[in-house]
Amino acid sequence: MTTSMLKPVLSPEPRLVQDFLETSATLSPYKTAVIHEGSRAAYAEINDWANRLAHGLIAAGVRPGDRVILLSENSLSYVVSYYGILKAGSVVASLNTDIKPEALENIIKELEPRAVVVSPKLEKIVRAVRAPLLKGVPVMVAGAGQGSTALRPGTVGSLRPLSDGLDSPPSQNPGLAIDPHSPAAIIYTSGSAGKPKGVMLSHANIVVNTRSIIAYLELTSNDIQMVVLPFYYVMGKSLLNTHFAVGGTVVINNKFAYTAAVLKQMAEEKVTGFSGVPSTYAHLLFKSPLAAYRDKLPALRYCSQAGGHMPARVKLELMKVLPEHTRLIVMYGATEAAARLTYVPPERLTSKINSIGVPIAGVSMSVVGPDGKVLGPGETGELVARGDNIMLGYFRDEEATRRALDAQGYHTGDLGYCDEDGYFYVTERKDDQLKVGGRRVNPRTIEEAIVESGRAVECIIFGLPDPLQGCRLAGLVVPVRRTDETVAEILKFCAGRLPKFMVPDALRLVDTVPKTTNGKPDRARSVSIFLESEAATS
Amino acid sequence: MASMKSEIRQFIANQFLFGDDKKLGDDDSLLEAGIIDSNGILELINYLEERYGIKVNDDELMPENLDTIASIAAFLAKKAG
Repeated sequence: MTTSMLKPVLSPEPRLVQDFLETSATLSPYKTAVIHEGSRAAYAEINDWANRLAHGLIAAGVRPGDRVILLSENSLSYVVSYYGILKAGSVVASLNTDIKPEALENIIKELEPRAVVVSPKLEKIVRAVRAPLLKGVPVMVAGAGQGSTALRPGTVGSLRPLSDGLDSPPSQNPGLAIDPHSPAAIIYTSGSAGKPKGVMLSHANIVVNTRSIIAYLELTSNDIQMVVLPFYYVMGKSLLNTHFAVGGTVVINNKFAYTAAVLKQMAEEKVTGFSGVPSTYAHLLFKSPLAAYRDKLPALRYCSQAGGHMPARVKLELMKVLPEHTRLIVMYGATEAAARLTYVPPERLTSKINSIGVPIAGVSMSVVGPDGKVLGPGETGELVARGDNIMLGYFRDEEATRRALDAQGYHTGDLGYCDEDGYFYVTERKDDQLKVGGRRVNPRTIEEAIVESGRAVECIIFGLPDPLQGCRLAGLVVPVRRTDETVAEILKFCAGRLPKFMVPDALRLVDTVPKTTNGKPDRARSVSIFLESEAATS
Repeated sequence: MASMKSEIRQFIANQFLFGDDKKLGDDDSLLEAGIIDSNGILELINYLEERYGIKVNDDELMPENLDTIASIAAFLAKKAG
């Protein structure tokens, strides 16, 4: 492990999330913090705009502890709004940009926000909410200009657009006295069933997790992160907060659909880090000119992966195709853990190819049996985590909070074990278990086998009700190359690898595997798609 | 070219817009309009490859080639010609 000459400078000690921005604005005011399309913004500018927004929110009646909804795609304006809302002492609830008006109404009823900050592109969703629900709630539309914000007519107060008064003195940090253990953010997570739950993270949760991530990624002010993941997920947020904490740079690219353009920008901007979830890397491997860029990315120190299990084969392929100096860092976490819980030291990846790694600094993890007993190495149980990064609880849902958090820690809902070296493994999600002919089946085992065949980019396996077996196995597969023999070849491969009762009954070839709002494979929708296509061909 | 544009428009309307393409201009960014994302692009590419018998190379996955109905038509014409 190399010792970095440039240790991350986090002085004074950050206690609040906005300290990351405020400190970097003091230490490196002219350093480029955000690059988005043609815009480049420095720390001092972003801090200034965020302060203006904060003062505007305070003038509009926002008080410490109030919730403010942020609905915006990734952009410079998003960054300004996020830190601005925090500087006003309010709790930022950044929502999924795919949200429909009905779901937004439910969240508004639950959150009772004091204000809403929305980007111009998404304004129509907020306008579709029934007026009584937003009575007296100012809706601020982030302006088209760099970082500027403006209030629509009919709302309280106003902000000068950025373009005005460039000679005017910079606005001050509000510097409110905020308890680091009070909520900073609420992030909605859908979980496997039931209504979305609002994970409450305190400033301390986020700050401590950010510092731990900076440590294992060895981030410095020289780091430049390519961001293709949405900021409204904690994973995307961790990219922003970590790089702002060290005075680095984030490059925002919302056009990952055009992978060639993203790679081109990574080369041009000399990006040092890239982050993705399994489907991001599936795209990068199978639908991008990544191989052609192998010697064009000399600055790319690492690629990090979280957001679910990535098949071993994909990890190994990536390691072959990525530049030799680029490390692949596999990570695991949860929204309830502020972002990260464990990581695999990259030099151990090959020998621990299916592992989620070891706990990050400040986190401890145990494997717990159904009776609550802590299990030893090799024994399978639920992964339970402890640390100062674990959430405060679910917003206004004490019952769900009690089920997830207890004296032992945060119950992840993931089953797994720990090996003799202290490396953890997730074997399956508690809720994904299937029973076929009375026998327990882990869909992940079958999915791995299908990807192992070399004929699939991604796939998902589920159980369908069957009068004889109780449950029959079926799946959707995104093929590497679509041919008439693909399904037969995959099934033949599975038959050679898996016990007979685990070989799927039927597979359908699709262009993509549907994802939930959390970006994870959507089993329920996959089942519908499968059944529809079965009906269509019968 | 005009009939190619209208075919592409028809596909996009049926695949992504429940048959309604009234507000989609030839030069409107499909990404900005929220019509295409990393999943949608795969469906578009598969359609273009099957319907027009072409192969979209990995290094051609750029907005200049695929992000508007007009660009797609120009891209196809270049591939065919």
